[in-house]
Amino acid sequence: MTGTSRLRRSLGAATAALALAALAACGSDHPNSTFLHWTEFGRDIDFLWDRLLGWGTAVFVLVEAVLVYTIIRFRAKPDGPTPVQTHGNTTLEITWTIVPAVILVFIAVPTVRTVFKTQAKAPDSALQVEVIGHQWWWEFKYPQYGITTANELYLPVGRTVNFALKTKDVLHSFWIPNLGGKRDLISNRTNYLWFTPDSIGAAAMNGQCAEYCGDSHANMKFKVFTVAPADFESWAAHQKRPAVFGVAPAAPATPAVPVKSAARGAVAAAPAPADTAPPVGYAFPADQIKPFWWPKTPLPAGLAEIPDAVLAQGDAARGKDTYSRSACIGCHTITGNPMSMGVIGPNLTHFGSRHTLAAGLFPNDAKHLAMWIKNSRMMKPGVLMNTQGMNEMDPMMHQKVTTGGLTDAQVADVVAYLRALK
Amino acid sequence: MTTMAAPAPATLPTTGEYKTGIWSWLTTVDHKRIGILYLVTALFFFVWGGLEAAIIRAQLAGPNMGLVTAQQYNQLFTMHGTTMVFLVIMPLSSAFFNFLIPLQIGARDVAFPRLNAFSYWVFLAGGIVVTLPILFGMAPDGGWFGYAPLTTKAYSSGYNIDYWVLGLQILGVASLAAAFNFITTIINMRAPGMVLMRMPVFTWMSFVVQFLVILAFPVITAALVFLLFDRFFGTNFYTVAAGADPLLWQHLFWVFGHPEVYILILPAFGLVSEVLPTFSRKPLFGYPVIVYSGILIGALGFGVWAHHMFSVGMGPIADSVFSVTTMLIAIPTGVKILNWVSTMWGGQIRFTTSMMFAIALVAMFTVGGISGIMHSSAPADLQQTDSYFVVAHFHYVLVGGAVLGIMAGVYYYFPKLTGRMLDETLGKWHFWTFVIGTNLTFFPMHMSGLYGMPRRIYTYDAGQGWEMYNLLSSIGVIFQAIGMTIFFVNFIRSWKKGAIAGNNPWGAPTLEWAIPSPVPDYNFAHIPVVTSRYPLWDQKAGDLVKSEAETTTGGRLKTAAELGIPMPFPTILPLVAAVFMTAMLCGLLFIHAGNLPLALGIMITCGLGLAFTLIKWLTSPLE
Repeated sequence: MTGTSRLRRSLGAATAALALAALAACGSDHPNSTFLHWTEFGRDIDFLWDRLLGWGTAVFVLVEAVLVYTIIRFRAKPDGPTPVQTHGNTTLEITWTIVPAVILVFIAVPTVRTVFKTQAKAPDSALQVEVIGHQWWWEFKYPQYGITTANELYLPVGRTVNFALKTKDVLHSFWIPNLGGKRDLISNRTNYLWFTPDSIGAAAMNGQCAEYCGDSHANMKFKVFTVAPADFESWAAHQKRPAVFGVAPAAPATPAVPVKSAARGAVAAAPAPADTAPPVGYAFPADQIKPFWWPKTPLPAGLAEIPDAVLAQGDAARGKDTYSRSACIGCHTITGNPMSMGVIGPNLTHFGSRHTLAAGLFPNDAKHLAMWIKNSRMMKPGVLMNTQGMNEMDPMMHQKVTTGGLTDAQVADVVAYLRALK
Repeated sequence: MTTMAAPAPATLPTTGEYKTGIWSWLTTVDHKRIGILYLVTALFFFVWGGLEAAIIRAQLAGPNMGLVTAQQYNQLFTMHGTTMVFLVIMPLSSAFFNFLIPLQIGARDVAFPRLNAFSYWVFLAGGIVVTLPILFGMAPDGGWFGYAPLTTKAYSSGYNIDYWVLGLQILGVASLAAAFNFITTIINMRAPGMVLMRMPVFTWMSFVVQFLVILAFPVITAALVFLLFDRFFGTNFYTVAAGADPLLWQHLFWVFGHPEVYILILPAFGLVSEVLPTFSRKPLFGYPVIVYSGILIGALGFGVWAHHMFSVGMGPIADSVFSVTTMLIAIPTGVKILNWVSTMWGGQIRFTTSMMFAIALVAMFTVGGISGIMHSSAPADLQQTDSYFVVAHFHYVLVGGAVLGIMAGVYYYFPKLTGRMLDETLGKWHFWTFVIGTNLTFFPMHMSGLYGMPRRIYTYDAGQGWEMYNLLSSIGVIFQAIGMTIFFVNFIRSWKKGAIAGNNPWGAPTLEWAIPSPVPDYNFAHIPVVTSRYPLWDQKAGDLVKSEAETTTGGRLKTAAELGIPMPFPTILPLVAAVFMTAMLCGLLFIHAGNLPLALGIMITCGLGLAFTLIKWLTSPLE
């Protein structure tokens, strides 16, 4: 029958297309994959996933094969007899009730085991990190080190990290796909999530908000670095101190090698004493970061760039003065600048040591930073930080900034100051 | 093979009394006409929600696109979800409930015809309240799930969420009124011999769904009342600054939201359970098992809600319990799938468009069911939830399941509805473009999700490994759009010009096929006596309904008066009551605007109007 052969051909074509898509998928790069085995948490999830995929594929193939066979074999024939009017078969019904139930046992048992294992209390030796979600950026605190930073997370390889997840406003969800599953940030609650990045060396990866949280939910990203323990200590020791001006970051203290550590939290080194640390601590070297990681967010149309020549004239000392007398200090803290003690926005103490800006939305270079200060609300929809550039249109207030606005030259100074905060 | 189809007459059978003016539609209490109103309205919203989806997919076709702003995108995805759930799939099911249930059980109308009209008008009013604001850029933007505290006034100070709260409340009234109506109808109005276990499976699944509605909708109503009070009267049910726990909303929402999924899917399961036997020329395999599975799915559906919340930190005991209960649902669902396949096994399968959609449902819902099991494993779900993998999953369930099942139903019942056939050639084109498009759109989303793409993002960066999947998804929408365009052309053209169908063009076995197409206003000239599940295969149609000589006169069908059948009077009162009720609730918007006297004025006036309308309604005779 022509209808059926057409059906068969189409099914064949669809299968071929899917197979091609699958092949293409294997060939391309997936930097945010959820299938990695970099933490015990990730391995536990992937163990379950393999079982789910295996059983799922088996059931899928079986059902679809029987279905396709049935519709081909039993297609109507001209003058075919009236089919036997069967109404059911108790043995079959019992069989296909019991068989799925048995399969589900093979899924349910490891599921429950993994639920209890991954939600057990984290080891006491774990690195504690407090994650506080804000519309639309991330605050990270390391209470054992007395550090507050934003949007870029440093984790020592081989040490269990225990995240305490909180939110200042609406719900968010903390997700680093490469390292394991997500956990929500719930108002008036603290959630916990822990894992050990034990099968990965120095690496830069992406994190992002996974719970819809309003206008810039898509732009609420963060950056994660797994680093050698000694580098982490160097970074942490420096982050704790007030900002240092204009010194190049130190080279990595140790080469980046994968640390395989079976025992969670075995590598729990004490923080180095601040007075013996080098003047500038470790920062993840930019040249070791893969291209996918760098934000490629386009600049908004209609926002005039500040010419490089003007930016080059920026002076950090002058910028500090401008910054300290502007609206900036109402929201931002820069330890070492007694005027700047605001706690609404991200802590900027070591802003110059960060690689990205605006919660992973732009690279932290002079051009993007200048435009951000000038008109952050055009750069990122809905942000709380209002437009600072003189005569700029604030897209949320629907009016031009006049009094208190910063000229391009002043912006260039502030850029120089902030970028100097290594 | 024995063909059951009766020869088609040359012209459409009619009683000569059919009124067509606008007024006749505004005042109708005929379940068939109300079914048509639901169908046409839902198809209109289908286009509306589809356009929203098309804009979403155009924006996501490539990285860092600027077709819409973040705020516009958030309104679009919120309205796409809200529209498709509340204004498309539910009312499409309602169209079939209205049109089919009385015909399948051998009744002349639903139990409460005027309440039925009221349900429709309230649904339409709610749909307008919730959809219209997008034209003014003020559409709801909190997601169809509306998680607090984002939807509270502290974080959404505009009117956007107000429209959503009011619209959903109004739609809830429509669903509840309809549910009580259909339960009463099915319990009380079955023809003699139509015992419960002889009811067609569509009526059975509808019966289950109405119970789900009356158990689930009060929960969302309470949740929305809290939110409404927070937003308009300053209460603190969800105000986190006053110590509220936002998980209150999530639990209430999903206690409603998960049964809602079965409210959306079970009617489609019912429709394919009608279509598969007819075109296999075999009774449904395992009828009692399919019926009990449907009941079990509905019941278990109330015990799995927190699997939407595995990432909120409920603790290992709750996560384990909800993982296991969720897995249990796979059993009755799988049983249904296998029974459908077994229905076809050994049959004489006719590949009509309707049958092809039904087969596609079996094939595609299986995919959605399997990915559902993947979510049921709580730790694994932590990588899947709120990623595109979930988007893939529920579109396989709701498009691959509900929409395909409804399409199978539309092609199957269009002849009964209009007396004319949908064109089969166009139907096949519709089928292939739509099914290929659906798979092309939604299958790659499994991949983008597992490769780390979160959902509800208005844009994504280049180089994340997501470009190809997103482009494929967007191309798929073009196929879906072509398919639906073909469908609408077919639908409109066939309504006026399609081949005349006759009583039973498919050789189908159930009661509704014994009477003329289109169905006369009184449905059955005399109430049939039912002796089996498949009366038209087991009895002669003439034994079921009066012979042609008794029901026709002078080349036309006899009118209700000629047959001595009392018919309910048409009335405008349900429409008036719906308008007053909607206007009364919308008066709340003026509280938001700060004009309390105006708000009170509108609410009191409309409240009095509603009360007088109801008194008039209750005191005027039905027939």
